[in-house]
Amino acid sequence: MTKKTTKLPETGQWPDRVAPAVLVAGALLTTAGFLMAFLVVPPVGGATVGGAELIGGSLIANKLLISQKIFFFHMPVAMVSFCALAFAAYYCVWFLVTREQRFDTCAKIAMEISLLFVVMTMITGEMWTRFEWGVWWTWEPRLTTYLVLMLIVIAYLVLRNMIDEPERRATFSAVIGIIAFVDVPICLMVTRLIPSSIHPVVVREGGMSPEMGLCVGVIMAGMLCVGFALYRLRFRQVRLEQRVEAAKELLED
Amino acid sequence: MTRSQKAPDVRPTAHGPAPAPRPTAPAAQGPAPDARPQRPSGFAQYKTLLGKDLRQEFRTKEMLVSMGIYAVLVIVVYGVALSFARPGEEFLEVSGGLLWALVVFTSLLGLGRSFATEKENGCIEGLLLAPLDRGVVFLAKATSNLVFLLVVEVIAVPLFWFFFSGFAHPGAAAPLMVAPLVVGSVGIAGVGTLLSTITANTRGKDVMLALLFVPVIFPLLYACVSATTAALVGGDALADVFGMSLALAAGYDVIMILASWVLYDFVVS
Repeated sequence: MTKKTTKLPETGQWPDRVAPAVLVAGALLTTAGFLMAFLVVPPVGGATVGGAELIGGSLIANKLLISQKIFFFHMPVAMVSFCALAFAAYYCVWFLVTREQRFDTCAKIAMEISLLFVVMTMITGEMWTRFEWGVWWTWEPRLTTYLVLMLIVIAYLVLRNMIDEPERRATFSAVIGIIAFVDVPICLMVTRLIPSSIHPVVVREGGMSPEMGLCVGVIMAGMLCVGFALYRLRFRQVRLEQRVEAAKELLED
Repeated sequence: MTRSQKAPDVRPTAHGPAPAPRPTAPAAQGPAPDARPQRPSGFAQYKTLLGKDLRQEFRTKEMLVSMGIYAVLVIVVYGVALSFARPGEEFLEVSGGLLWALVVFTSLLGLGRSFATEKENGCIEGLLLAPLDRGVVFLAKATSNLVFLLVVEVIAVPLFWFFFSGFAHPGAAAPLMVAPLVVGSVGIAGVGTLLSTITANTRGKDVMLALLFVPVIFPLLYACVSATTAALVGGDALADVFGMSLALAAGYDVIMILASWVLYDFVVS
């Protein structure tokens, strides 16, 4: 209350000027990756079916997976969502340490961005589940932990709406943000802990050919850029709003 | 009726047995000079707070009765839901999950109430004004929640088998399921105390508690269900899954309770 009168929430640091350029770069990189996934990277032989089996109404011995292309988006988007969550948790801790409104805003927006990417992961994942496994949902460990992650992120955003006092809202949501982050390592490690899981461990066990790795890298860089730019733009918007509010209050005094 | 709410100084009179561990006399209250002899130790504070919660509950029996009746009602709903199911060994594979659903719903009810009473009577202010470590407040509250939950489980779990013994008889190793029940209850009480403190200050308390509690508790729930089911089914599943799941649940307990304990400082202020 008192500190608001002394200074306005500051806006317009250098990242704001870079953000539009980064957004364009991210869009270009993602598009390049998209083209690469379909034109350059050779199709991956799917599960070699023992003998011939009836899949999708036709007899197939070894299926070339066109739907495997989803992987090139699914994994980077999921990684970016984890990244955003990590930033959110970092800002939550930082808020509890410093008690500055700025970090609360950062955490909130990082959570919003991570919700966006979590939902995109879910959509690409569901496409995969539907077309590869023939069901919309299966209670596999990683799917389940990820669903839970999404629910916690949603709960975080709902909680913010349920508290009116800004100070208290910031503190409580910071605590929840930190608790939520506990699920991220679980979700990341679950494929290593429970080997029956359907998600392969690709990075360390060399499940990807070099082209695939490059393609994933390009899309991941693109998605990171998009995520960063969105974060920055949204941050600027919210921050300006707060600045206007603070300025109004200042004028009233 | 809620006379002995907080106030550590009530303790020596009301809490009969074990007056020994508290080093200071009631003199610790008044405006003592700077060289005050000694603050009551953390453990004494913890015992006082816990004693006050338990005493209040065993006098009013508000929470235990409502949780117990709620548990019975959930069992009745299960009875309706399963009325067309065929009896058989397969029931054992479902019963672990059903049991845990019962525990989760019942504990949600209890956790929602645990801070509501503190707020209604305005005790929380008194509690916070007292020179207590917040961690002690958390531990005491979590322990009292744990005690209530365990008492309800002691009633509800045999009742569950009383009603559903017609479906299947659990294997010989069934008593082992006490272990996941205890480990799970510890985790539920720990995280639940933190979350219920948070949601006690929000609009739409109970909905918010459920929204936060269920996803956060999920990994623990998963591990506990698999351990319980392994104990009930017995055989190979027991050897393969039981120990691993129990270890996972215990690990989750440790991490989450430590996190809640540290974060509790920020939540009550």
